[in-house]
Amino acid sequence: MGNAARRATREKIRLQREQERKRERRRRQVTITLSVVGVVVLIVAMVAIWQSTRNRSEGYAGELAPISRTAEGDVVMAQPGVNAPVLDIYEDFQCPACKAFEETSGDTIKRLAAQGKVKVVYHPIVLFTQEPLKSNSLRASTALRCVPGGRPWMALHDRLFKEQPREGTVGFSVDDLVAWGKEAGVTDANFESCVRGQQGASEQLNYSSRTMQSAKIQGTPTVKLDGQELGDTAFVPGELESAVLEAQPK
Amino acid sequence: MTTQSSATAPLPTARAALPWVTTAARLVLAGVLIVAGWSKMGAPALSIEAVKAYQLLPTAVAEIVGYVLPILEIVIGLLLVVGLLTRMAAIVTAVLMCAFIVGIASAWARGLNIDCGCFGGGGALPPGQKANYLPEILRDVGFLALAAWVAVRPPGRLALDSALGLTPVAEEDQSPYRDASDEDDDPEAHEERNREKDD
Repeated sequence: MGNAARRATREKIRLQREQERKRERRRRQVTITLSVVGVVVLIVAMVAIWQSTRNRSEGYAGELAPISRTAEGDVVMAQPGVNAPVLDIYEDFQCPACKAFEETSGDTIKRLAAQGKVKVVYHPIVLFTQEPLKSNSLRASTALRCVPGGRPWMALHDRLFKEQPREGTVGFSVDDLVAWGKEAGVTDANFESCVRGQQGASEQLNYSSRTMQSAKIQGTPTVKLDGQELGDTAFVPGELESAVLEAQPK
Repeated sequence: MTTQSSATAPLPTARAALPWVTTAARLVLAGVLIVAGWSKMGAPALSIEAVKAYQLLPTAVAEIVGYVLPILEIVIGLLLVVGLLTRMAAIVTAVLMCAFIVGIASAWARGLNIDCGCFGGGGALPPGQKANYLPEILRDVGFLALAAWVAVRPPGRLALDSALGLTPVAEEDQSPYRDASDEDDDPEAHEERNREKDD
């Protein structure tokens, strides 16, 4: 074989290899692209499924079951004659997780109570010990004590979570509390002086420590169904509803 | 370690062991990511709350992160287990670890008292409980090192990347001479050399 022929053969082989390598590279790129697209689609699909099956608030705006304060200072929301199951809610107006809980499951709880499926007992406590969290929480919960019950109580309760001060900042000013109460539908003439005077503050602190001791509260929100702590279930409206329906008296 | 092994030909056993180190690192990271992601899956509201507790991101962004992060962790963990898109998965893991380190360090620097929410939970700590950020940061630095190792030496043994021929490293290994011969000004002599080597 002559030198030129050899050179031509080598050139051919070189081109073949070049093509092979290009094909291989293209195949690799296609596989990688498909894998990446597959992974992204998988992530989006999983997020969508997770979001929709364990969703946020249902947005209930219907009638509420009667709401009234007990002698101990708890607030009960239940249809007359409904005594079981009991859903105990321990919450602090300055606690972000409580806000998340109310935003997520609050409406489902209101509906279930209105339907007579559950007796709800709210325990608004002052959990925090450091400032300004403690004072914020105490001012707000003391102000709520000035509302004896009914729809205005719930409206102010919800408003307090909605207006929760950023952690570490002073909030829940007395002026705001008075204004929010009026917007919540409180008509009692003594309401404003009750909020401004904050006479209920010491009783609210006593009530808080009593409650935390007797119910063994470590953090908020603590949600108990017939005495059993619900944990994450409380934050998933669908699961919370199933738990309540399963606990119906036979 | 890498430079050493390429400069002085390492013991064959050491060279054979290196891909297994990558595999081990992959499995450790995968385990951590999957457990971390799974433990956040209990309730979206809590996952979002854990992100918000850092007070770093605007609410809307925190919500997206709260929804996406647990699932991202699980999917990246699965990719590391099977060794698919290993380098990309390792880089994403490294980015996540950097973000966690920055987040925890900034929470520490700002004096926040929060649960890192690393494995579920999260949010402000109850009074009397003190956050301990240093071990969390050191732990994540360790994971970052593992992720860097995997990113530098993917995909290790038992990897889909190898099975699917997605590893550029493998291609280079197959053809170290071909590339050289293209630029060689005396290709004939070079090919002779190759033949000898092949024998």
